[in-house]
Amino acid sequence: MKQSRLPLVITLLLLAFFYLPILVLVITSFNASRFGTTWEGWSLHWYRRLLQEREILHALSNSLIIAVSATIVSVILGTTAAFALHRYKTRLQRFHYALIYTPLVVPEILMGISLLLFFVAIGMELGLFTIFLAHVTFCISYVAMVVLGRLQDFDFTIVEAAQDLGAGWWASTWRVLLPLLAPGILAGGLLAFTLSIDDFVITFFVAGPGSTTLPIRIYSMIKHGSPPLINALSTLLLLITFMVVWASQHLTRESS
Amino acid sequence: MNKSASMQIPLSKGGRQPWLPGGCPFIEKTRQIGTETTPSPPSTGESDAFSSAVVSLKRSWGILIKSLSVLQILIALLACQHNKPVLHIYTWADYIKPELTHRFEADHQCWVIIDTFDSNEAMYAKIKAGASGYDLVTPSSYMAKIMYDQGLIQLLDHSLLSNLRHIDPDYLKIAIDPEMRYSVPYMLTNTGLAYLRSKVPDFEPSWRMFDRKDLKGRITMLNDMRETIGAALKSLGYSLNTINDSELEAARDVVIRWKRNLAKFESEQYKTGLASREFLLVHGYSGDILQVQRENSDIQFDVPVEGTSIACDDFVVAKNSKEVTLAHQFINFMQEPEVAAENTNFVAYLCPNKTSYPKISEKIRQNPGVFLRPEIRAKSEVIQDLGANNVKYTRIWDQIKAAN
Repeated sequence: MKQSRLPLVITLLLLAFFYLPILVLVITSFNASRFGTTWEGWSLHWYRRLLQEREILHALSNSLIIAVSATIVSVILGTTAAFALHRYKTRLQRFHYALIYTPLVVPEILMGISLLLFFVAIGMELGLFTIFLAHVTFCISYVAMVVLGRLQDFDFTIVEAAQDLGAGWWASTWRVLLPLLAPGILAGGLLAFTLSIDDFVITFFVAGPGSTTLPIRIYSMIKHGSPPLINALSTLLLLITFMVVWASQHLTRESS
Repeated sequence: MNKSASMQIPLSKGGRQPWLPGGCPFIEKTRQIGTETTPSPPSTGESDAFSSAVVSLKRSWGILIKSLSVLQILIALLACQHNKPVLHIYTWADYIKPELTHRFEADHQCWVIIDTFDSNEAMYAKIKAGASGYDLVTPSSYMAKIMYDQGLIQLLDHSLLSNLRHIDPDYLKIAIDPEMRYSVPYMLTNTGLAYLRSKVPDFEPSWRMFDRKDLKGRITMLNDMRETIGAALKSLGYSLNTINDSELEAARDVVIRWKRNLAKFESEQYKTGLASREFLLVHGYSGDILQVQRENSDIQFDVPVEGTSIACDDFVVAKNSKEVTLAHQFINFMQEPEVAAENTNFVAYLCPNKTSYPKISEKIRQNPGVFLRPEIRAKSEVIQDLGANNVKYTRIWDQIKAAN
C-alpha cells in the first residue's frame, strides 16, 4: 500500500510557516532599498553601515558581556540547585523547587518592574551589573530544569562505585558526576545564553545609562531608525542563535 | 558611579596605570583579574585526587576568567573613558546627528553616551519607577508636562541657554511650555496627507480629500482618536483641543461620513501600503512619509490648509542629573543655528530654531512635511492632554468605531 503524502505536505507547510518570514528577513537584509517593498539589487551596504555605528557596536558588546557572564554564573548556580533538588527530598526542597520554577511562569513584565523597584529601593546603581543579576535570576531556572531532566535518568550507582574504588567526594564529583552531566549542563548553558542575549522586557527595565543592550537598541530603531539596518542586525543575531542551538542539539544528541 | 568609566562593568575602580596616559581604570582592573587568578602550581597536597580536582577546577576557572578579561579589555579599548565627565542622553534612536555629538565631545572635553527608548510611555514608566543616571531626555511635549508635574525633571537655568533667543516665537505661541521653563523644543513633526501623484489627479491640500468618492476603499486614516477626530475638527474650523460637546458631535458625524470612504484606520502599515500602491491617500506622520518618499518619488506629502496637529519632542533635564551644567551646554549647543540646521538636514524633522531656517538645505525647506508654511502653522495646534475631559474623546471615538 502506498503511504499517504499528507504528513509530508503538512510538515513542509509548517516549516514554511515557521521559516519563510525569517528567510524574507534575511533576504531583505541584502536589499539595497531602504524598504522591503521594492527590490533594488543585492548589496552589503547595510552590513557595512552596521559596522560604522558606534552605538550599535557598544550595545552588542554590552549584550555579549552580560550573556557570557550571566551564563557562567547561572550554570554554576543552576547545576547545584538541580543537584540539591534531585538529591534531597525534604519539605525545604519542595519550597526550593517552587522558587526555582517561579521565574519560568512569572510574566516578564512583572519580573522586570519588580526587579527595577527592588534595585531602586536598595539604592543600587542601574547598569550592566543589574542586568546581569536580573538575567542570572531567570537563567538559573532554565539551567536547573534542563540539568534536573538529565539527573532524573542518572544512575547514581556509578558514583557509589567510584567511591567504593576510593574516590573522594571531590574526585567522584569532578571525574564522574560532572562529565556525565556535562551535556545537560552545556545545553542548559546554551539555552541561558540565547535567552539572555535576546531578552528585551526585563532588560529594558533594569538597564541603566550606558548599558543599552542590542535588543533594546533594535526595538527603538524600529520606530525611529533605518529598517534595513535592523534586518542586517537581526540576521547576524539569528546566525549566532542558530549556531548556539545547533551546538546544543549536537551536544545533547552525542550524549544519548 | 565612577565618572571616569560609565560604560563599565561594575568592576572598574582603581588608580592610574603608568603606561596609560589618561589612566583607564577599566583595563587596569581587568589585568589585575587576569594575573591574580593565574593558576599557581599545585602544592604538595594531602589527597592526590582532591588536589588534582582543585587544580583542574582552578585551571578551567582561570581559562574562563582569562577569556572574560580578554573580552573586557576589548570592550575597554572600545569604551575607555579616561577621566572626562559623561553626559547621558536618553532619546529616540537616530535622533541626533552623530558628528554633532562628536563635535560636542571635543569642544567640552566630555563623553556623550546615548541610550534609546521606543515610546514615551516606556521611558516614563522607567524614570517614574526611579531609574536614575540619565541627564538629558527627549520626551514629547505632553509627556514633558506630565514629567514636570510629577517632579521628575527640573527647571532650566536660562543663563546657560543663550541660544534660546533663536527659538521660533511662532511655535512657542502654541507650545505647551511657551516660556521654556522646563523644556526646550527640539524637533517638530506634524501629520498630513500623503498620496500617489500618478494615481490621485487634482489633489487639493484639504481634509475634504477624505470625501472623494473616486478613491473609495483606497484611503486610510490614523487609528488614533486625537489625530483623526482632530482632523475632522480642523476641517470644521474648530480647535483640535476643544471640549465643546456640540463641536465634538459635529466632528463625529464628519468622521463617520469619512469612515464609509476609508479602507481602514491604520497607524503603522499605511507606509508600506502606500509604497506598494495598495492605498492611494493616507493620513500620516511626516517623519514616516519622508522615509518612504526617499524610496518612491511618486509619493507626495502635503499639509491641509485648514491646519493640522503638530507634535514636538523637547529637551528636558532629569531631576537627579549629575551633569546639569553639561546638559544645559548640550541643549545650548544643539540650538546654535548652524548646528540646528545641520541636524534638521540629517534627521529630517524640523528644529524650531528660527535663525537656522535659512541655513537648512533647499530640498528640506521645500518639503511641507518638514517645513510647515507659516500660514498653515498659524492654524495648527499641539495636541494637549485634556485630563478628565479625555473621556469625551473616548466616547466619541467609540461611537465612530461602532458606526457603519
